[in-house]
Amino acid sequence: MGPGALKLPPTVSRIHLEFAKRLEGGHMGPRKFMKENLPRLKFWNPAVPMIVNRTLDQEGPATLTLYFRADGTPNPRETPQPPSSTTGASKAPAPVAGEKAVTIDVKGVHSTEILSKFIQKTSAVQVEPTRTEMEEAEEIADLRRRGEIDRVENAKLLAEKRREKARLALAMSEAAAIKASAM
Amino acid sequence: MASTTQCIASLARLSLAPPARRTAVSTIPSFLLPGAISSSVRYAGGGGGGMRSKRVKKKKTHKTYRSPDLRPMEQYSLCDAMRYLRAFEVGNPPSSVKYDVAVKFKSGKNGPILRDRIRLPFEVKSDTRIAVICPEDHPMRTEALDLGAVAVGEESIFQSIRDGNFDFNKLICHVDSEPALKKANVARILGPRGLMPNKRFNTITYDVKKAMDDMVGATEFRERDRVVRVAIGQLGFTPKMLAENLKVLMEKLKQDADAIADTGHTKVLEEVVLGSTHGPGFSLDGKLNPTLDGVPIEHLQSPM
Repeated sequence: MGPGALKLPPTVSRIHLEFAKRLEGGHMGPRKFMKENLPRLKFWNPAVPMIVNRTLDQEGPATLTLYFRADGTPNPRETPQPPSSTTGASKAPAPVAGEKAVTIDVKGVHSTEILSKFIQKTSAVQVEPTRTEMEEAEEIADLRRRGEIDRVENAKLLAEKRREKARLALAMSEAAAIKASAM
Repeated sequence: MASTTQCIASLARLSLAPPARRTAVSTIPSFLLPGAISSSVRYAGGGGGGMRSKRVKKKKTHKTYRSPDLRPMEQYSLCDAMRYLRAFEVGNPPSSVKYDVAVKFKSGKNGPILRDRIRLPFEVKSDTRIAVICPEDHPMRTEALDLGAVAVGEESIFQSIRDGNFDFNKLICHVDSEPALKKANVARILGPRGLMPNKRFNTITYDVKKAMDDMVGATEFRERDRVVRVAIGQLGFTPKMLAENLKVLMEKLKQDADAIADTGHTKVLEEVVLGSTHGPGFSLDGKLNPTLDGVPIEHLQSPM
């Protein structure tokens, strides 16, 4: 459930995402995409290799490369893949025979925009939540609603308590003043 | 509370009189003022002073760790837990990510603890590179090389240490080479890195083979607060490999638990939780195969 819960068609053989380690220079979108959407994508497509290459070059490009393969060709996912890297060591591999690579420039693109582009290019199918998941989501939403009401109630009580305390402190300081002047 | 406030406020109103009229102020009995103030102090303390009950409730102590009822909890098969964890670890360099397992026991707070060393069938830490110091013409030499030592020798190793270009991270010394090691003047380089061989740690030994066997791929574990935590696999492991490692670990733990059972302290397995370096923990139900919708076990074996 949630953004990124997509079933990829079997033609998608692997995914490569490259962006810089830090945010400035338009690398925020791909990072958010990696943090928020990629885990869901990986959960629903455990067999598709997803390689993230974070480079040290802040000026460098930010790209999302999708690899498609024609039916009947051997699946490159069976072969060893370059590991994800945080030092820019895993550049996007060249497509193997029978494979086609599509590169999307994601520099300065919002993560939601990246996701919609991704869906458009791969024609991935949204995973629909099951009935129990819907019920659970409803329960959580209900809990949040009630929490919000309670929060307002509590804030009122707390403010009242603080006012009371401030009044008491004021009175006490006045009493102390009396005592001081009495002596 | 309000009544006190009012009381003090009325006193305060009295105090508004100019200081010249001291007589007016002094009409208030002196015992009344400090009394009023101190009582209000107690009040602010929240039922303090005389209102506090003298009987302090003694905190209940437990001789055993408390165990929650696990029946209503969600538990996962190994493959399901792996699927979640692999999703959580997407994009992280696989070399930095390990599966770890926390094995919780029903146990008393005192008594012996489980502490042992285990060799898992699939090594978790694969970067152990051992060098063996032994005389150049020693029969141990070929044996050590066969066992996978990256460097064997005496003066050659010392020289590489002095030059600073050595690529081992464990060092074993044969007893015959001990005088040479002492003379070689390398302790200053090896000591800070924890590499200096020492009889106490069995790194100066006659039985180089045993020392190497112990070093390669052995994982130490100990129980802390009735939980044993061990790194159980690399992220790239298949479910079968992980299951194999887990099985060996559980057998070892059972042996160890049985070994201390005759001291009167029993340890009963309560829960096994699989986690990973950046992921959450998943309580395992002891099954292997996936139960979630049609993701076969093979899909969890592909590269990340």
